[in-house]
Amino acid sequence: MSSSKHPRGRRLATWAALGALVWTLAGCASLQAPQAWDKGILAKPEMTMDTDPLEARFEQHVYTSKENASGGYGVGGGGCGCN
Amino acid sequence: MSSHSLDASPDAALPEAPVAQAGALVLAALALPGVLMMGAATPVQAQGAPESGVVGFKYLHYQDEQPGLKRVQVSSPSFYILAPLGPQWSIEGSAVVDEVSGASPRWHSSVSSASHMHDDRKAGDVKVTRYMERASYALGLSTSSEHDYRSNAVSGNANFQSPDKNTTYHVGLGLSRDRIDAVNGGFLNNALGKKKNTHELMFGVTQALSRIDLAQLNVTYSNGKGFFNDPYKAFDERPGRREQLALLGRWNHHLEGDGSTLRASYRFYHDSFKINAHTLGLEWVKPLSGGLVLTPLLRYYSQSAAYFYGNALANPATLPVPANYSVTNPPLYSGDHRLSAFGAITYGMKAEYKVTPDWKLDAKLEQYEQRSNWRLGGSGSTGLSPLSATLVQVGVSRRF
Repeated sequence: MSSSKHPRGRRLATWAALGALVWTLAGCASLQAPQAWDKGILAKPEMTMDTDPLEARFEQHVYTSKENASGGYGVGGGGCGCN
Repeated sequence: MSSHSLDASPDAALPEAPVAQAGALVLAALALPGVLMMGAATPVQAQGAPESGVVGFKYLHYQDEQPGLKRVQVSSPSFYILAPLGPQWSIEGSAVVDEVSGASPRWHSSVSSASHMHDDRKAGDVKVTRYMERASYALGLSTSSEHDYRSNAVSGNANFQSPDKNTTYHVGLGLSRDRIDAVNGGFLNNALGKKKNTHELMFGVTQALSRIDLAQLNVTYSNGKGFFNDPYKAFDERPGRREQLALLGRWNHHLEGDGSTLRASYRFYHDSFKINAHTLGLEWVKPLSGGLVLTPLLRYYSQSAAYFYGNALANPATLPVPANYSVTNPPLYSGDHRLSAFGAITYGMKAEYKVTPDWKLDAKLEQYEQRSNWRLGGSGSTGLSPLSATLVQVGVSRRF
């Protein structure tokens, strides 16, 4: 199915791009962005976006065998039959 | 180049601290998936490669169940290593062996599908990352092999930081080549040497919203061409192309009162099979005394059905033959429960224990429950049995 036959997907992509832009601007404008010397909490392991690679991969693999949706976290994972 | 452990005290707010040092901390904080995939025990050097390496071993196990029946069971020993190669390079790799046995979830809950099987899946990947001033670049290779399915993938990822290091942009590109050789050619004896090629594209922004809030927005688009059928299911015929779009938002918020952290995520998914899905996740990371950290978690998932999904028949013992079926020109049709409409809940708990500053133990237990009528805002597909699964993970990791 080409993207021209898929206006919904294109619309979503547009919203996503707009959302990312608004989010970035909002982050700079309304909330108090941290100063360079004030980022100790952000460096704590539980504040990072990914923690344990083996755990994340296992769970994505399990969910792929039970659910249709995938993606969002990264690119380049190995596929499987998973029947 | 300065370096900090991820265990940097939250009180490390030192106005006199050199900007480069603190900026280094946030590079670790802004690590995006696929580029800086550090273990929880990994110390991260700010700008530059990780200061020390980490090795981890995990034993993973899960068991599927339907009422009165044990289904697929998987045991996966897995290994991970991350090693710095000087101040500007790092290499990481992992290997896993899945031992799969049992039967797939019953097709339409009563028509037996692939029946009993035993399979070993071996997978491995390696990634090399180059760290620059406010940027990093990574190249990854991965491979996965089962007796009837092989997959090879290559990925490239790049990270760029804003001058104040509060914003990180991420771009990723992935290519995968899969080959399917079904046992005895599958249901129609013709699923041999079938191919599936997929291109993936990702764009992400991670933003430090405040000194206690980190947010991320990722968009991934995937375009696959080739063989998407399940060769073991009768009459299964799917489109030869599939486009997938996922939009993921994540937000981590630190509660200074008790030192715990809330981690929330939402993913919207849409694909050219006309399936829409919503995934909502919530974790609460609660450090206790004595080096123990407990993390209760909750996940909700809901999806609509593919436009060619065929509901189960009133008499579930009957094989549902699609209308106008012909072997030479089969209509689009699938009875795969993964393409049906349903909702699912996962709940669980993770425990981590730091034995010494370098040694860490962790264990995680999760229960997964899938029901047709748990679908968000509508009734799910009819005639399907509930599906349950128990996930267990036990791991040990060490810094070196």
